[in-house]
Amino acid sequence: MNARGLRHYVDDLLRGRRPSPFQPDDFEAAQIRTAIELRAARKGPDVGDAPRQEFLTDLHRRLAEQMVGTPKQAAPKQNTTRRQVLVGTSAAAAAAVAAVSIDRAVTGSPTEAPAASSAAGQLTPNNGSWQRVAASSEVPDGLMHPFDLGSVSGFVRRVDGKPQAVSGVCTHQGCRLWFDAPDDRLRCPCHSTSFAPTGKVLTHQLPIAPKPLPTLVVREVDGVIEVFAPPHPDQPA
Amino acid sequence: MTAQNDPVSPRPLRAVPNDGYTDWEAVYQDNAAWVYRTLFARVGNRADAEDLTAEVFLAALRPLRLTASVGEVRAYLRATARTVLAAHWRETLGREITSIEDIEQPPDSEEAISTAPRRVAQVLDTLPDRYRQILELRFLQGSSIKESAAELGISVANAKVLQHRALRLAAQVNDGGKS
Repeated sequence: MNARGLRHYVDDLLRGRRPSPFQPDDFEAAQIRTAIELRAARKGPDVGDAPRQEFLTDLHRRLAEQMVGTPKQAAPKQNTTRRQVLVGTSAAAAAAVAAVSIDRAVTGSPTEAPAASSAAGQLTPNNGSWQRVAASSEVPDGLMHPFDLGSVSGFVRRVDGKPQAVSGVCTHQGCRLWFDAPDDRLRCPCHSTSFAPTGKVLTHQLPIAPKPLPTLVVREVDGVIEVFAPPHPDQPA
Repeated sequence: MTAQNDPVSPRPLRAVPNDGYTDWEAVYQDNAAWVYRTLFARVGNRADAEDLTAEVFLAALRPLRLTASVGEVRAYLRATARTVLAAHWRETLGREITSIEDIEQPPDSEEAISTAPRRVAQVLDTLPDRYRQILELRFLQGSSIKESAAELGISVANAKVLQHRALRLAAQVNDGGKS
């Protein structure tokens, strides 16, 4: 029994303060539960049921700080608190995602989403140049033409007559993609991830979907298709 | 669960739905309010609800891939909130006081956020008048012990005893009704 701990806990709830920890027994736990429900059933302004705007703004700022430094591959941060690690790696959380996704375990028809919402962004190297990837005649409508510049590999194709290019490297762990022409999709040999020609993820079997493929800047000049790419690793600029 | 980490076991192939969020900020704007309310309904005070809400988003946003659908993102946030709340009770009172249940309803629906108003109404209905009145005054209307005593025409000391007994009885009724 811990009558004092319980009394303080309920008092703090009633005063809108953060209650102090103690070790309740079963019946005290039941009373705390009831007190919390009574408090939560309260209606009206200044009740605490809706989040304060200042809190939302402040949390937004903290999240922005965290998200700016986020590496592409979500690596556990060294200085995370024990509880964050616990949550971040929680099998329960991952399983919940898997569970809600399981009814989607169908190979849906590869409908193409607008590029804006599907692309991971554009690959724009710091020190790039226009490099030939194909003759115009090699890329007719509907064909996915592979290229490898040494620094970047990918696929170029025509959409409404204009050339478009995506990276040919899986965004999960970097395996090289191949084009499955009958299914009109890029496939990863490692974990069965597949991507639309636009770069959008079509199927995967990972706990969380990998990012879509980056697009490359491409142009067509004098019967040649060129991609804006970094220099070949053997011939640094 | 173990299949998650086993690279040789076959895993279901998943199609990626089209309705998703464009960036993490959209995830936050769209879901912060219901996550907070879900937690407030289970801790009963703003300070803890704010801390736990922050923990949920700080933990959940980084590993989140935006190709998930809105429904998947919400289920993931609710699952994360469940883990965060369970850790909170372990650390403060050493036992689970409230939890975030598995439910059929969407996580942002009123029924999923809190069943407290419905449960409280049921419990209060079963209590003797004086007990119901003191709980309504103190917990629902936010009256001070002095104001409540005056309202009921009793001394402050008696109001304290009445509140204490009323909460004990309400807890017995409430827990008896638990499935």
